[in-house]
Amino acid sequence: MRIAVCSPQVPFAHGGAEVLAERLTEELQARGHEAALVTVPFKWYPGQRVLTQAFLWRMVDLDEVDGRPVDLVIGTKFPSYVVRHPNKVVWLVHQFRQAYELDGTELGQFGDDPVDRATRRAIHRLDRTALGEARARYTISRNVAERLERTLGLDAEVVLPPPQDLDFRCDEYGDFILSVNRLDRAKRIDLLLDAVAGDPAAHVVIAGEGPDRERLEQIAHDHGLDGRARFAGRVDQAELADLYARCLAVYYAPVDEDYGMVPYEAFLSQKPVVTTTDAGGPLDVVSDRRTGLVVEPRTDSVAGAVRFLREHPDDARSWGQAGKEVAEQVTWDHAIDRLLHGSGQ
Amino acid sequence: MKVAYFSPMPPERSGIADYSALLLPALHRRLDVEVVKHGDLRGGRDADIALYHVGNSPDAHGWIVEALRQRPGVVVLHEFVLHHLVAGLTLGRKDGEGYLGAMQREAGVAGRLLAHGVLDGIVPPLWEIRPEDFPLAGEVLEHAAKTGLIVHSRYVGRRALASGYEGPMWRIPHPAWPPPSVEPAEVTGTPVIGSFGNVNASKRVPQLLDAFARFREDHPAARLLLVGASSPGFDLDERLRGLELEGVQREDYVDEPRLWALMAACDAIAVLRAPTMGETSGSAIRALSLGVPLVVSDVGWFAELPDDVALKVPVDAHETDTLARALELAATEPANTAMRAAALAYVAREHALERVADLYAAALEEAVGGGAVRDAVLGEIADAAADVGIGADDPEAAELARRLGEVGLAG
Repeated sequence: MRIAVCSPQVPFAHGGAEVLAERLTEELQARGHEAALVTVPFKWYPGQRVLTQAFLWRMVDLDEVDGRPVDLVIGTKFPSYVVRHPNKVVWLVHQFRQAYELDGTELGQFGDDPVDRATRRAIHRLDRTALGEARARYTISRNVAERLERTLGLDAEVVLPPPQDLDFRCDEYGDFILSVNRLDRAKRIDLLLDAVAGDPAAHVVIAGEGPDRERLEQIAHDHGLDGRARFAGRVDQAELADLYARCLAVYYAPVDEDYGMVPYEAFLSQKPVVTTTDAGGPLDVVSDRRTGLVVEPRTDSVAGAVRFLREHPDDARSWGQAGKEVAEQVTWDHAIDRLLHGSGQ
Repeated sequence: MKVAYFSPMPPERSGIADYSALLLPALHRRLDVEVVKHGDLRGGRDADIALYHVGNSPDAHGWIVEALRQRPGVVVLHEFVLHHLVAGLTLGRKDGEGYLGAMQREAGVAGRLLAHGVLDGIVPPLWEIRPEDFPLAGEVLEHAAKTGLIVHSRYVGRRALASGYEGPMWRIPHPAWPPPSVEPAEVTGTPVIGSFGNVNASKRVPQLLDAFARFREDHPAARLLLVGASSPGFDLDERLRGLELEGVQREDYVDEPRLWALMAACDAIAVLRAPTMGETSGSAIRALSLGVPLVVSDVGWFAELPDDVALKVPVDAHETDTLARALELAATEPANTAMRAAALAYVAREHALERVADLYAAALEEAVGGGAVRDAVLGEIADAAADVGIGADDPEAAELARRLGEVGLAG
C-alpha cells in the first residue's frame, strides 16, 4: 500500500509525537509498504492562528501523488488529522489540549473574552468534523480515548505505540533517579527536585531540553542540589540507553499526560517507574508496587517513593522485571495490524 | 461572559418555567447569567448577549418577544407553532392589522383573507382549530437570524429551514431532571399505564381509551392513570361510560412530588399527541429519567426518540390497533426490562443536565464571538490568497471557501 503518515512539524522542536510518526513510517516501510511522512509546519498562536494553521491541512491533497493513488492516510497529532482523504484513519496522539482540559489552567491559552471563547469552540467543531469523518479512530492511550469520548462523543480503540529502538539493557540499579522529558512545566520535574531536596542521599539526572530548563536549574540551585542534580540536556541514543541501564528507577509524573513512551523505555531496561495518581497515560502501565510506585502528586509522597526504592533494591529489581513483561507486549506488529484493519485494506 | 436570560420562571405554571429552573444552576456554573424579571424589557442591558425562551403562550412569552424586538439575541424555540402567541400579541392587544399582517406574511393574500374571516367572526379562531397550518413563527425567526436559534429537535430545525431561516442554529436536547428519590405511588392494578398532561382530543385520549380497553381484555387487572386537567368540552366521564371501561384512575393537576411518584408507579407511559406543535415533552423526559418505557405518537420530536426507549404509533387509520399492541409490548416482559435499561442509558447520554448546559455555553460563546473568529480566519486566508494572486472570482478561491465550510470555518 501507499501510505501517507501525517504529522505536524514545529520547527526546531522534536518530541515524542514526532518520534512516533517517524517510527510508524519506518515500520510501515519495513513491512513492504510505500510509506511517506507528510508534515506541515504548525504554529498555534497568537489568537486565531491555531485555526488558520490547522486549516492548511484541509487544503493538502493526498488523493494521489505523481499520478498514483495514495491508499491510506494516517493522521496523528492535531492538526494533521484535518487532512481530507477517502481512506483516512486517525491514530490520535493529541487533540489541541489548550482548547480542552487545559483550558482555564495555567497551561491554557484562551482567556475569558468572547473571541477566545469562540475560538476554542471553533476548534471543537473542527475536531468533531475532522475526527468524525475518519474511517477508524485509534488513540495512543486510554487517557486520550476517554478524553475524546468525553469532549466530542467519539469512540476510539486504544493502540499503544511501542517505544523507540534503543540498546535497552540493565547494567545495574545505581544511585540516581532518572528523568527523561522535554523540560516544560507540565512534565513536573520541579516536583522531583523538591522531593529530593531534603534527602542528602538522593541523586537525580535530568535528561532533555526545553523552555523550563532555566527555572528548573534555579530550583535545583535554591535547594542546594548542585552535585546531586545533573542536567544532562539533550542526549543521544547511546547515552540515553546508558542512563536507563544504570539508574535505580525512572521518574515520570507529568500532569495528565496523554501517553509517554518513557515508562516503556524504563521497563525495557527493567527499571521501575515512579509516577503520580494524576499522571494520566502512564497509569495504563505503571501499577503501584507491581511495576513501580504510584503516589500522590506531593513532595513528601515522591520523596517517600525515592527513599523506598533506594532502601529496597530487590523490589526495584522485581518491579522493573515485571515492567519488562508488560512493555514487551507493545509491538509494531500489533499497532500496524490494527491501523490497517481500520482502513479496510 | 454575561448572559441576559429571558424566560418564564416558577411560580409561573409553565413547562418552560420548569425547564429554566432546572437549567439555570448548571448554566450559572459556566456563565455569568442575569435572569431578567418578567416584563422588564430593558433588563440585562450590560450583558454580552441575550437569551430568549419563546413558547406559544402570550401570557408567558409575550413580553419576551417584545424584548426580542428591541434587542437581538439567541432564541430558544420551544415549539414551532406560535399562532396563539402571535394572536395574543396582536388581537389580544386590539391590533387587528398586526394579525392580518402576520397571516399575510405566512400565507399570502389567502392568509390575510382567512384572518379577516377570524376578525369578522365568520371563521373560528385559527389558534384553536388549526394552528399547525399557520405557525406564524416568521417574525421570531427573523429576529433569531441576527444572532442564532436553538431548537430541541431535528423536526423544528427542518421546519425553521423550510421557512427560510438562514441564521446560525444549534440543536440542544431538553435537559433531564435528576430523578428524585421517590417512592412509587400506590396504585391498584397491574400493569399500570400512565398518561400525564391535559386530557383532550389532541393528546389522543379517545384513542388511548380504546386501546386500553383492548389491552385490558388480556390484562383485566390493568390500570390506566389519567393525570391532568380536562380541557373544556372534553367529556371524559361520558366516554368512559360509553366504553364501559373500568380500571381508569383520574387525578387532576398534581404537584411535582406527586407527579414523580405516579410516574414511578407506571410500567409504561403514553405520551401521545397529534398534531404536533414542534414541542418536546417534559413528561416524556421525566419518564425516561425514571427508566419508564414510552409509547409515543410518531410525530415531531417524539419520532426522533430511539426505538429502544419509545415505541412509535403512527397517527393513521390503524392508530388504535397499533397503540394497543404497543402498550402490550412496552408494559410487559421481556421488552419492559430491556426498554427500562435503554431509557436510563439514553437519557444519561443525550439529556444529561451538565451536557445540555455545556451545549448552551458553547452556543452562546459562538454567538458572541464566532463572527469575529470567522472574520479573523477568513481575513488571514484571503490576505494570503491575494498575496499569491488568487482573486475572489478565481476557482481557487471557491475551493478555499468549500474547504472552510467543511470544517465550520466559513461564514
